[in-house]
Amino acid sequence: MKITPQAYRKEAVKPIWCPGCGDYAVLSALQKSFSALSLKPEEIIMVSGIGCSGRFSHYFNTYALHGTHGRAIPTALGAKAARPDLTVLAVGGDGDGLSIGGGHISHAARKNPDITYLLLDNNIYGLTKGQTSPTTPTGYQSKTAPYGVSEDPMDPIPIFITYGISFIARAHSFDVKQMTALITAAIKHRGMSIVYIHSPCVNYQALSWDKLREQTKELPADFPVDDKMKALVPAYSKDPLYTGVFYKVMKPTLEDRLEIITETARKSRHGLSVGMSAKQVMEDFR
Amino acid sequence: MKKNRPVKTSKLDFIIRIAGEGGEGVISCGELFAKMAARTEFHVFTFITYPAEMRGGYSMIQIRLRDMTIYSMGSMVDCLVVFNQEAFDNSIEVLKPGGILLYDPATVDIGKLDSEFTLEPIPLTMMAKEATGGILGKNMVALGALSHIFGADMELLEGLVRERYGAKGEDAINKNSRALDAGYRAAANINIEAKFRLADLKASGENYMLLSGNQAVALGAIAAGCRFCAGYPITPSTSIFETLIRLLPLVGGRAIQMEDEIAAISAIIGASFAGEKVITPTSGPGLQLMTEQLSLASMIEVPVVIVDVQRAGPSTGLPTKTEQSDLKYAVYGAAGDSPRIILAPTGVEDAFYQTIRAFNLAERYQVPVLMLLDQSIGYRKATVKMPDFDKLSLVDKTEHRKSVSIPKSDLIPIINRMEPDEHELEDFFRYQDTEDGTSPMSRPGTAGGQYLATGLEHDERGLADQTPKNHLKMSKKRFRKLEYISKQFDKNPIEFYGAPEAVIGVIGWGSTEGAIREARYLAEEEGVMIRHLHPHTISPLPSRQISLFLLRLKYLLIVEENLTGQFAHYLKAKFNIRPIGIRKCEGMPITPEEILRVIIKVARIDDEDNSTSL
Ligand SMILES: Cc1ncc(C[n+]2csc(CCOP(=O)(O)OP(=O)(O)O)c2C)c(N)n1
Ligand code: SF4
Ligand SMILES: [Mg+2]
Repeated sequence: MKITPQAYRKEAVKPIWCPGCGDYAVLSALQKSFSALSLKPEEIIMVSGIGCSGRFSHYFNTYALHGTHGRAIPTALGAKAARPDLTVLAVGGDGDGLSIGGGHISHAARKNPDITYLLLDNNIYGLTKGQTSPTTPTGYQSKTAPYGVSEDPMDPIPIFITYGISFIARAHSFDVKQMTALITAAIKHRGMSIVYIHSPCVNYQALSWDKLREQTKELPADFPVDDKMKALVPAYSKDPLYTGVFYKVMKPTLEDRLEIITETARKSRHGLSVGMSAKQVMEDFR
Repeated sequence: MKKNRPVKTSKLDFIIRIAGEGGEGVISCGELFAKMAARTEFHVFTFITYPAEMRGGYSMIQIRLRDMTIYSMGSMVDCLVVFNQEAFDNSIEVLKPGGILLYDPATVDIGKLDSEFTLEPIPLTMMAKEATGGILGKNMVALGALSHIFGADMELLEGLVRERYGAKGEDAINKNSRALDAGYRAAANINIEAKFRLADLKASGENYMLLSGNQAVALGAIAAGCRFCAGYPITPSTSIFETLIRLLPLVGGRAIQMEDEIAAISAIIGASFAGEKVITPTSGPGLQLMTEQLSLASMIEVPVVIVDVQRAGPSTGLPTKTEQSDLKYAVYGAAGDSPRIILAPTGVEDAFYQTIRAFNLAERYQVPVLMLLDQSIGYRKATVKMPDFDKLSLVDKTEHRKSVSIPKSDLIPIINRMEPDEHELEDFFRYQDTEDGTSPMSRPGTAGGQYLATGLEHDERGLADQTPKNHLKMSKKRFRKLEYISKQFDKNPIEFYGAPEAVIGVIGWGSTEGAIREARYLAEEEGVMIRHLHPHTISPLPSRQISLFLLRLKYLLIVEENLTGQFAHYLKAKFNIRPIGIRKCEGMPITPEEILRVIIKVARIDDEDNSTSL
């Protein structure tokens, strides 16, 4: 049975976002992806961080957890490890995911849980009204850099590639159609997927939209997505700014790994084919 | 002072201490001895101090054997084994007059020691070298000697050694056996009349485990139905995590090491939201990192169990030493009014049952439960009766009393989460404001049960709502759980130890229960009567129990292992009391004698008071 994109929305809850905010496009793309994949709303867990983008989980008719600033990834990872049968997503902004929560990504990458992470980058702290984020361009006068940002901005895609995230794509709020396709592919991917989305803020234009639009270019259709070294070249490129899938590789998911641990544990007990009871494990301590 | 009715005394109560340097295997030596004793009718209680480092530093294990329940590590020892000078210097003062001293004459200069002790030099280092070609193995030589002196069943011991070192290969087993044997033979010409012979004692009923407090927590979690653990290693809690990581996969559960404590608590919050019973073990520094997520768990009402095995602090502090100094942080550590339940086990067996209770409370009331375990319980081992698994009983969600009480070995209630019924799912209010503050919680996958769990203030449906009225209403709802639990306690009969008419009362929490109990026995022997109350729940407090206990009390002594009297402060905020503090802040457990001294002093003052008023 086909579920319409609208069926995933909690209609009664109107987004708090400013008119024209890039996050609306992501909202629409994600609804379409869910629908395209015929996912049941009750079989989705959406975890979001704190920020304008962190409000994402409020607008969906799924199981949703709007937690604390920067912790969407480990929270989603725990949910997936406990319930491999469900589709689990994490959503958050550039501050949430790359600053306060930045330490979690590399470790999640090592475990490769089958979750999809949507990182909505507006190059600013939107919710708290205009402070410097890890991706704010040098020189931009943010609220916390009245004399211009002095640090270098972070380059997330090469970092993700180096971390070993098993699916990495870049999308753009200007192109809902492409974004929908990328999110759909990311959810389908078995393993940890990141869709890094340029989702501009209308209040604080840290990056010039016109430039963004001009420089954006889709990766060629025959781009080899299984080569880390090759992926780094377009990943570092600013002009053109590539969209599409940079890297995609199959490796064991966290759930696979946990399954292997269970088997190994059982083997160590004379090759048990089923689990032990609490009573049986206590016998060890006699 | 009134003379007192006779006190129960045991026929056998024997304490052995083995001391040396970290890395010399004193702990293994002691634990193997304890394990043999645990197979007999003896109760066994061990206490260990480790240095924080892998090697070097003073390390000791004290083993108490008794033919009755043991409440503390005891103070003076009957037999002392020392591997080096530092161990000797540190421990000789606790050897009883007439006690046995085994030492290595090559490494220990006993100086001019009175002949009040039975001195037995054994060349541990030399014999270990002969038997194994290295100095490792001293511990086995010592164990061999002890085994001879206390008539151990060598076949049983060989088996235990094989079990312990089996993973290290045949060579390691053989070396250990040779060292054991050498020690055994060396002790043959020692002429000590031992108080007991292990091999001649009756075997215990088969169903005793020898568990550390930390292992008891891990097994309690498994018994309670916990099947998910995420953690980050931190002394002295790590062995809970290691035990769960080893055992959970065997019982169909999952355990994950995370990158830090924030990630660990985040993962269990995610897993609990997804429907599992979850736990994370930690210690003070880790608890501090977890606090933001602890508030989130309170706010979104997701059940989680956090175990804080308290080290001595602050900061990195004394990682392997004991202290009861995380209480204030556990009770108050949060931004905003954030309810949590705090339990404090009093011993190894209690740690097992209180862990089950922690899950029952967390699941029944959807509140984070924090268990404050003292390092001294976490690291020591004691015999624990195997629970009767036929007596595990799933409790109906309406039976509140059973969810708050401490399970007993012959009846262990197991509480599962309260899920919405079909009718409730038609129009689901996840945070419905109810009589006891708890609302139905749907399990992801359940159609119609979808909801938003947000750390923003929200209404009964879960939607963000920051209006003044709603904030008050929902704050009250979340706290009502604690009030409700406290009311459940009120229905319990007043429970304290000692003489109801005594004018001196002692309140303690956690691991000091045994020491207070023994202090009470000692006081009674001297004709001083006291009452003793020991709450197992720190938050919410069993208020009525405490109020009744305080009635007609002239002196209240509060025992705790910290400098500033955190528990006394906490009680002072709730009751009109002026307590006398008995505090210890040395990283070591308080002893019965230390408590007794104050009790006697107070009793003298009371005597004087009474005579002057005449
Ligand atoms: C622990 C903590 N620190 C700080 C904040 C304040 N805070 C809320 S959102 C935010 C930044 C949000 O920026 P971003 O993640 O880029 O999201 P955006 O609003 O731009 O979508 C900050 C600093 C917080 N909520 N929690
Ligand atoms: S402040 Fe910026 S990011 Fe936030 S809602 Fe408005 S436009 Fe969007
Ligand atoms: Mg941002």
